[in-house]
Parts: sequence; structure tokens; C-alpha cells
Amino acid sequence: MSERIPKGAVVLLAALLLCAPPFYLDAFWLRIGLFSMAAAIGAVGLGLLTGTAGQLSLGHAFFLAVGAYGYTWLAGEPGPGLPTGLAALLAVLLAGAAGGLFSPVAGRVRGIYLGVATLALVFLGHHVLLTADSVTGGFNGRSVPPLSIGGFSFTDDDPGLVLLGVPFGAEERLWFLGLALLAGTWWTARGLLRGRPGRALAALRDSETAAAVMGVDIARHRSAAFVVSSMYAGLAGVLLALAFRRVVPDYFGLALSVDYLAMIVIGGLGSVAGAAAGAVFVTALPLLMTRYADQLPLVTAPGTTDGGVGPTEAARYLYGAAIVLILLYAPDGLRGLVRRVRTRLRPAPPAPAPATRPSASALRTKEPTP
Amino acid sequence: MSLRPTTGTTPGRLPAAPPPLRVRDVTVRFAGLTALDEVSFTVAPGSVHALIGPNGAGKSTCFNVLSGLYRPSSGQVLLGDETLTGRAPHRIAALGVARTFQNIVTTEGTVADNLMVGRHVLSRAGFASTALRLPRAVREQRAHLARAREIAELTGLAARFDTPVALLSYGDRKRVELARALCLEPRVLLLDEPVAGMNGAERARTAEVIDTVRAELGLSVLLVEHDMGLVMRLADEVTVLDFGRRIAHGTPDEVRRHPEVLRAYLGTPGEDAPGEDVPGEDTPARDAGTRGTTAQGTTAQGTTAQGTTAQGTALEEATDSEGDPV
Ligand SMILES: Nc1ncnc2c1ncn2[C@@H]1O[C@H](COP(=O)(O)OP(=O)(O)OP(=O)(O)O)[C@@H](O)[C@H]1O
Ligand SMILES: [Mg+2]
Repeated sequence: MSERIPKGAVVLLAALLLCAPPFYLDAFWLRIGLFSMAAAIGAVGLGLLTGTAGQLSLGHAFFLAVGAYGYTWLAGEPGPGLPTGLAALLAVLLAGAAGGLFSPVAGRVRGIYLGVATLALVFLGHHVLLTADSVTGGFNGRSVPPLSIGGFSFTDDDPGLVLLGVPFGAEERLWFLGLALLAGTWWTARGLLRGRPGRALAALRDSETAAAVMGVDIARHRSAAFVVSSMYAGLAGVLLALAFRRVVPDYFGLALSVDYLAMIVIGGLGSVAGAAAGAVFVTALPLLMTRYADQLPLVTAPGTTDGGVGPTEAARYLYGAAIVLILLYAPDGLRGLVRRVRTRLRPAPPAPAPATRPSASALRTKEPTP
Repeated sequence: MSLRPTTGTTPGRLPAAPPPLRVRDVTVRFAGLTALDEVSFTVAPGSVHALIGPNGAGKSTCFNVLSGLYRPSSGQVLLGDETLTGRAPHRIAALGVARTFQNIVTTEGTVADNLMVGRHVLSRAGFASTALRLPRAVREQRAHLARAREIAELTGLAARFDTPVALLSYGDRKRVELARALCLEPRVLLLDEPVAGMNGAERARTAEVIDTVRAELGLSVLLVEHDMGLVMRLADEVTVLDFGRRIAHGTPDEVRRHPEVLRAYLGTPGEDAPGEDVPGEDTPARDAGTRGTTAQGTTAQGTTAQGTTAQGTALEEATDSEGDPV
């Protein structure tokens, strides 16, 4: 993509920039960053399922919950009390297994129908979270045991750590954990998309029949995509739990699933970078609006009841509007927008001009009319 | 550029003579309509077999049966000793049967992306090894990409290898489908109207490609095409369908002279076999242009040698005059 600047330099620069915030920003901003990173991981997973495989899921919140609660229970007091690192790993696998249990449905049901089918998961999950008190802590939820790997704990109470004159508390430490997990997500997801499975998924999204006659086992790939997407959601859930330090059932409702769909639509379907960008937008916006509610017109501070719009609702309206705008003017999301700006800024390369422009109708022939 | 997969670097199918493809008494019914009526034919190993007939004759339906998309009500399809009927499409593909579609069906992305989908059955890498970019998966992908590039060269797409398919000309996109099918290293290649909508030069190029791969790779080709010139030039054998029934069979020359064929293509009033349901204007799938009683149809009744060549051209014109099949 970048013609003059080598790719390695871009990655290095991005890595440096992303490592800087803990040294300059306070806990509030770091938490926004953490939530954004967790959301980005989940959104990449959903992007793989919805953007690449063309399978709608409204059950993403369920798998986030499996990851978050799975970790909390596995590492926690009522529960096996496993080493936290192991608990985190098992929580991700648990989310994958939950996705696998759903695969008879996920492999057979296509497109928006899967969206309807997964709706049930969210309600079921929420109900279980509320009622299975001994595991989930019921309505009040549970506090999340802090992660510690090899004697290094991601908490405040270990006072010794000061880096470059900055005391490293939980947020600072988790920031780097989040970065590492996000980098891993990015790397694996891009590998998948550019490899054999990603191509097969894109092919079955664009035409099930064409993919099948190319030898793609449709049902198997659909369920595998669902499992992989659930695992990313599980990982996001673990990170979210660590960042929140408490898990509560009400967070993992349908609204959360919809938020994730919003992220991938805003970012641009089928792209890892787009999903991450959309995740930051959708996550950070309500938090920022809450913080600056008193300075924004028409938005009332949280807790006041004078009939104005609360910051969270205002944020929802805003990103609702963003979705409408994007669907109207930039159907390929932020990713497409960036690409278009970039091609416009760059002097036109000697493009391999097609002999004849394909007609719009032939451009996207979805299903063969056999 | 080599036509055969470079052994050692590319895992592929062994270049062995393809088994015969036998279609036996295949019947397909759609609510009240018999699209194929006990159709039988055999594609001999390494031959080009053309399947022709007017619009709605059932050619594409036959392809859909062969590739496992439709289950016939009765009848059987055999590739060598393997029964294809009842198998899922992806299993049929794994046996070495590749096809193209009448209307172009490509995936978003570059030509390379599309061709790599064609390499799917020949590669192994799963979700885990690809996500973790294990050396095995990376190596495999590189080898298959190299082979895909060879096939792009063979089909004249090398210069477009990294171009998004959406930016290609119609003829090029049609060729992407052909190249993608070839990427399966098939033993049997099913081509549904591979040159429809192409201009003369593109047609010649595609015909050349079909000829070359048949000769060099020794695969069998089943060809559906309305371009009679192309059919006559490429085909070893021709099967003619009309209203789902096989009405003629033989070498291109035999078929060209066959009275039933002329009648099916041109429509000859008064000559129809008694009791047979004659296509009327009310049959929706037929377009009146290819069926109607035309002046050509009347002259086609002549039986002199001259008449026969005239019929040949008329046949070609009649079939070429139809619209874009997409
Ligand atoms: N899925 C389907 N459901 C119902 N009818 C169908 C279906 N597929 C094909 N048909 C009908 O079966 C008949 C044969 O169609 P088919 O597409 O095989 O014709 P064809 O020989 O390929 O014609 P063309 O030259 O126009 O491509 C037509 O009358 C068509 O309308
Ligand atoms: Mg057809």
C-alpha cells in the first residue's frame, strides 16, 4: 500500500506511538484506550464472521460474556481458582467451545437468519448470568481477580514499579497487555483473511454455489468462522473483565451485540483495520461524551433528570447517525474512506486501464441463476 | 511457464488420463416442468464434448446436476467408477470436476484471490495453522500462488494478476472464471458458455486456451456454447438437447445436418412429429427470435449440399443473435 515509506517503518512508528500513552495520559484516558482495545479484538472477530463470511450474528455479547465470566469463575474464589494466566487461556477456549456447540446452527443457517437465531443466545445468556448465582454472582455480578503472569501482576498494589518516572498502576500495565493481545489479534486475523480459510469464506459470502463447486465445504467453513469469531469475542471478554474489575450481567445485553455490529459497519466490513477503527469510535464516544457532558450543548450530565439527553444516549444517537451517513455515502466504511482519500492525494499511477468498464449490474453478480 | 504443475513444488493431482464421465438417464423436474428427460451421454477421456441446444433446453441444468448443485429425480452420473449423483458439490470438486458459470461468478478481490480459491481443494492449511502463520501453511500458500500465476499466464491474465476483478473487462472476467476452474487441476472441465459476450479476438483467445489445456493436460471438456463456429471447431462429439430431451448426438458434421437439430433451432412449421408438444409462444423460457418461423427456417428445408452449408450459417446466426446470456 505505502509506496515510498517501507512497511516496517510504519509498523514501528505505530508501535512507538501506541506505547507512549501510559507515560503521558492519566487513568481515565488509559481506560478509554483499554476498552477500545478490548472492543477492537471483539470487533475483529465479528468482522471475520459478518464481514468476511457474510454471516450476521447478534450473539456476540454472549461470547464476550462467556470469556469474561469464564475467566472470573476459573480464576476466582467460588470456582476452581486456577492460575490466572491459565484461566484466561481456558476462558478463550471456553468461548470457542460455546461457539462450537452452536455450530450445527451456525453452519447451516445463512446470513440474516443466523442473526435471528443468535438473538436467542443473548437472552439465554443474560438469563443464566442472572440466575446461576453460585457461578456468576447473580444480578450484582462478581469482582474479577487480577491477572498475574509469572509473578508479574496487573494491579496497583505492587508499588515498586516506576518506569521513566511514571508510577505503573493497573491501567498502565493493562495497557501493554491490551496492546499485546490486540497485536496478536491483528496478526492472526490478517493471516486468516489472506490465507486459504479467509479466501474460502469470502468466496462463500459472494456466492455459495461458486464456493461449493470450487470445493469449499460450506457448512464446515461457516461453523469454523463462528468458532473463531467466538474465540476473539472470548478474548475481548477477558480483557474487558480485567479492565472493568467487575463483571455484571446487564452489560452483556443485546445493546452490546448491536454496538459491535455498529463498529464493523462504521469501520468497513471485511477489514481488520476498519473493525479496530470502528471499535475505537463506538467505545470512546460515549465515554468522552460523559466526561465532557457539561461542556456539550443539549447534553445533560449523567444523573440529572431535567429531561435532557444523557451522554450515553447522545452518543448512541451520534453513532446511529454515523451509521446512516456511512451506509449512504461510504458503504465501505472508514477503511474505504481512507483509501479513497489516499488515492485522491496520490498522483494517479499508470493504472492498468480496463478496456471496457464493466456494467454495474455485472459488477456484482452474487448468485448464479443456474 | 509450464502447463503441467511443476512436480515437487506444487502439490497437485497426478496427471493421469481422466476417467470417462457418464451421464445415464438423468431426469430433472421442477414443479411441473421436466428440464431434463432421461438424458444420457458420455464424455470420452480427453475429448471435447459439446452440449448444445436452444435457450431453456436444459444445458445449464445438466451442468448443475454434474456439479452436484441439483439432485436429479432419477438417473446417475458416473466419473469412472465413482458415482457423482448424491455427492455434495465440494466432494465432486475434490474428485477433479471443475466448472464455470454461464453468468460470471467471481469473488471480491484480485485475480490472484480468485485463482487461489480455485486452489482450495488442493491445499490443506486450516484455520489454526493459517492464523498462526505456521511455516507449513506459508510454504503451501507460496507454492500455490506460484502455480496460480502460471495458470494466469496460460490464460492470458498474467498482466492482470493483481488487479481487482471488478476493474476487468467482461472478457477478462470471463477468463478469470476459466482460469479459476483450471486452478483445480481438474480431470473434467465443465464450461458453460465460456465465450458468450466476448468479441472476436477474445473468443479466439479463449478457444485457443481450451484447445491447449485439453491437449497438454489431457483433461476432458464438456462445453456448452451457442457459438456454433466454436463448437464445430473444438468439439469431438456433440450432444443436442431440446426441451430437456436428447434429440441428436454425433460428430459436429453429423449433428449439423441432423433434421431434428435444424428443426429445434430454426423451427419448421408442418414438419413436427405428431403428438409432440410443439413449443408455442407461451413457453416462457424460449425467446421468439430463435424459435420463430423465420425465412431462414423455411430455406433450411433444402437438402442440397449448398443448402446444408447455408443451414450451417443460418444456425450460427440464429443462435448468435440472442442477447447477452448474463
Ligand atoms: N431452479 C429452477 N427452478 C425452476 N425451473 C428451472 C430452474 N432451473 C432451470 N429451470 C428451467 O429449466 C429449463 C432449462 O433451463 P436451463 O437453464 O438448463 O437452460 P439452458 O439450456 O441452459 O438455456 P440457456 O441457453 O438459456 O442458458 C428452463 O425452462 C428453466 O426455466
Ligand atoms: Mg444455460
